[in-house]
Formats: sequence, structure tokens, C-alpha cells
Amino acid sequence: MKIAHVAACGKLHVAIIKTAVSQFGSKDPFVIEINDVTKKFYDFAALNHVTLHIQRGEVVGLLGPNGAGKTTLFKLIAGTLQPTSGQIRPTSSAWPTIGYKPERLLFPNQLRVRHYLERAAQISNVPKRDISRVVNESLARVDLTADANKRIKECSKGMRQRLGLAQILIGNPPLILLDEPSNGLDPNGQVEIHNCIRRLQNEGKTVLMSTHHLPEVTQVCSQVVILNQGQVHYQNSVDEAVAARSHIRIRVNRPIGSFATELTAVNPNIVVEGDTVYLRDNAMELRRDILVMLLKTGFDVLRVEHQRISLSEIYAEAVQ
Amino acid sequence: MNQRIAALTAHFFRSLTFSVTGAIYLIMGIAFWAIMFPPGQKTPESSYYVLLLAAFGAAVTFLTTLTISSRANQAANAAWIVRLPSRVEYLTAVFLAATLYAFSLQCLIALLALVRGPDLSISIILEIPPIWISLNVLTAVLALHATDFVAAGWSRVYLFGLIAIFLFGQSLSAASSNNSWFIIRLNALSRTFMGEGWYALVTPLNELSNWLQNDGASSLSKLFSLPFWPFHAIADAVVSGTFNMVQALAPAVLLLYATILIMLAADIFATKDLDLTE
Repeated sequence: MKIAHVAACGKLHVAIIKTAVSQFGSKDPFVIEINDVTKKFYDFAALNHVTLHIQRGEVVGLLGPNGAGKTTLFKLIAGTLQPTSGQIRPTSSAWPTIGYKPERLLFPNQLRVRHYLERAAQISNVPKRDISRVVNESLARVDLTADANKRIKECSKGMRQRLGLAQILIGNPPLILLDEPSNGLDPNGQVEIHNCIRRLQNEGKTVLMSTHHLPEVTQVCSQVVILNQGQVHYQNSVDEAVAARSHIRIRVNRPIGSFATELTAVNPNIVVEGDTVYLRDNAMELRRDILVMLLKTGFDVLRVEHQRISLSEIYAEAVQ
Repeated sequence: MNQRIAALTAHFFRSLTFSVTGAIYLIMGIAFWAIMFPPGQKTPESSYYVLLLAAFGAAVTFLTTLTISSRANQAANAAWIVRLPSRVEYLTAVFLAATLYAFSLQCLIALLALVRGPDLSISIILEIPPIWISLNVLTAVLALHATDFVAAGWSRVYLFGLIAIFLFGQSLSAASSNNSWFIIRLNALSRTFMGEGWYALVTPLNELSNWLQNDGASSLSKLFSLPFWPFHAIADAVVSGTFNMVQALAPAVLLLYATILIMLAADIFATKDLDLTE
């Protein structure tokens, strides 16, 4: 089966447009629009005509093999790189727009955790009288209050990940970029990060996160985007991605033969192959009727199973 | 904007002050003072004091700008950079931190040099800030252009290449004598072309050589030395003890150069791909 949304000509236009006005009251449902963006490093195109519209309040999981262009896309959105062609909007019209946690956990190591966050608050224009409160709240949200006076160089990897998140929370940016947020964390650390991301979504933030852990996407993301070789190869909501690739398989005792015509006439999403009937999409709701038809015609039903395709299969197909 | 720039400036200033590099600059400054203004020596002239400390300030500004730029170019600051509505704020903070640190060190050494130093009249004290500050500002901007932090593509090659051409052109007056390095080379090239039979090139080279030996070199030299007038004017005025009306414009011209160069730096920095070091 071919993956939906894959453009044949290499130039891709993907947009899932929902007409609902966002909870922020803005008429523009997107927090960021990436239109036909290409980024070249000399002759190498790290991103090639990428179009991606990210809706407000979504948690978007960005998947792709190493070198697919995920980090380049993050840097373009964050504004540290400039696109060779195409447009990214808005990047700064609604400042402060972006909270960014790069892939590598690099901090000014000589600073203490609290001082680092205070600087972030100052840079985010938090009023002086509110800085202490904002920093304390941020520390509490990522469970770093007890370590506030530690120097960053004394922090563990998990603490540094949480410090990266704490820094992002300051200034209340509506768009958050997390480049491999749970990379190198133990299971408990990963759960903490996932909980934090869920809280962010509940607060109405838009989160774009890259990851190599596919289960992470199904656990915390509402949208999935698969990048490969600098192009978007797949975009869909996580639920729809899995549901769209599910089917019910009914196996009978002998080849269905000419009765297949009657079955496929009921619904075009019914496919017959030999002794097996596949019900896809809305045809799955007809399973009772199809079973009754088969039994009445004299077939013995040997097996009925609901097969769900996993995200890893979708991913493997997209990056193939 | 002010809060953001102030916070970043304070961060860079502190990070240099409380670092080994900052301590090394302090030690270098004290060593400079001990060598150039030893307390045991007789009182130096005020012009010596002003010019030597101006040169010290410019040198320290260049070094501190390089240091702070390299620190600002670290990936550890990426999360802060993306929060700024304009990258120019970041560049401004780097510039301010570097010039403030260098000026502080310059003032410290200047105060130390006053121990058994020259008696500075009020007029000389008033002359000092425009001279030192304009030179420091220009040096800081030039240093910014020299760094990976600001430079993009061949930008620094173009800028410093242009400065090198002007410096070379300024020294062309020495080419007016027929045994100067440049004239000898031109004549040798002319003879080579003659030997190869490239007569079309021989005539223009000979004409250029003759023109340079007459009035040409001097005229070219004057043209190329024009941008360096403020430096000569400041040095002349400080040595003579008073600025005339034209010389008094020299620090302002240096600031004008700095303004043009910082605008160029801001434009380059705002549109370049940041290649942050890890």
C-alpha cells in the first residue's frame, strides 16, 4: 500500500487545515507556516522544498533517520539558520515566539541553575519584580527546586534535560522546539519529560519535537511528520495514521471466487484475495453484515482479526 | 530591549571578568603599566601618557572583543539567541561588554600610571575621553569583523583586504625614488615582457613607472592616506598639546567609521547562518 501524502515529483505540499479557530482567538490556525523551504549547504540540500503548516496547540513529533534534516528544520524555525529559498512565518512577529531546546545539552556551565534561569527571564523581558517568582515556578514545574543553587556543570544529564525545559517555560512562548528531548534519559526521566510535554499541551502550547523513539510519538504527540532526505514524506495525526492503516481480515475455508463481486459491491473498501476478505476504513463497520453474507453463502469463517499497523511500519515505509 | 541588552552585556562582562582569560588581561595590563610607567622613573610627558594608554586601550579592546565574540558564538547560548526579537541586540551586547571591559581596564591602568605620573591639566583630561573612546570603539568594530561570530563568507577578506590596500597605497610615496622596491619590480616586469616580446604591456608599465617617479606616487599616497587622517590628526594634536578646529573633528570621524562598520556588521550578522561552536 502506498503511503498517502507522498508527492511523486519531489516537491511537496502538505497541509492539514482545520477550520476551527484556535483557542487563542487568533484567526490564523497555524503557529508557524513553512512554505516551500529549501536549505542548501554548498551543493547539498539538507531540506528540499519543504512545506509544513503547524497548528496551534498540537504536539508534533518529527521523525526521520539521521541526516534527514530534522535539526536543520529546527534551526530554521528557531532562526539560527536562514533558508536558501522559501519562507518561514512568523518567526518573530509575536515575540517571544519560540522556546528552543537544542539537541546537545550545552549550557554556560559556570552558572548556577537559578542564575541561568534568571538570565533567561531577563532576556525574555519578564519584569524585574516577577523574575524570582517566574524562576521559582519554572523550577517547580520541572522538579528542580532542590537543585536551584547547584552549578550547571554539577548537574546530571536528566537534570540538564529538565533545566532545558525549565528555560523554555520562562517567558511563556507559544511555540516550543524540543530537539530529541528524551535522548539519553533513563525510563523515569523519559516519563518525566513526557508528563511535562503533556502539561505543555494542556496549557495550549504548540510543541514540535524530534525523536528517534517511535513509541514516544504515540505516547505524547498528536501529529506525526516523517522527514527523509530533506523532504516531508508523511504527515498525519497519530490516531488517524494508525487507524487509516488498520483493517479487519476475515479468512474462510475456501477461495471466495465469484462471490467476491457481490462483496466488493457492498463497499469499495472491501478487498478480496483468495480465501481472505479485507475490510478497510469505513468498511470495518460492515463486519457483521459481511460475516452474515459469507455464512449464508456457505462459507465457514476460520478466523476474524483486527490488524493495526504500527507507527514503526509507517515509518519504515516512509523512509524506504 | 534595554533589559535584554543589559542582561546579555552583564552576562558577557561577568563571564570574562571571572575567567582565566580575564585574569590574564588584568596581569597583562599591570605588566604594561610596570614596563611603560614604572613608578621609579621620572614623570612622563602627558602626550606620552595619552598616546600610550590610547594604544593600550585599542589593543585590549581588540583582544577582549575577540574573546567575548568567541564566547558569544558558543552553542550554549543558542536558547537565548532565539528568544531575541533581533539578533542585533545580541551583537550590541557583545560589543558593549567588550568595550566596557577594555575601557575599565584602560582606566585602571591610567589611574595606576598617575602614580608619580604626569600632571594632567583640565584641558588634557577633557581631551582624553573622545580620543580613547573613539579609538576603542573603532577597534572593537574591526575586531568584530575579524571573528567567525560576525564574518560571513569572504566579508573579512574584503574588509581587511581593502584596509591593506589603503595602507600599501599610503606608503607609495616611497616609490617616487627610482631605486624603490616597487619601481625596481615594475622595471623588472617591463624587461621580462620586453624579452617575451609582449610589447603591448611594456609601454603602459614604463609609463606607470615614469608617472610614479614623477608626481604619481605622491598623489596616490595622498589619496590613500586620506582615510588615515584622523589618526595622524589625533597624534599631532596630542603631541602639540592642543587640538585645532579641524583636528578636533578627528575623533568624530573615527566614530563615523565605526558607525559605518557596525552597520555593516549588524547587517551581516542579522542575515548569516549562525555556526555556533560546541
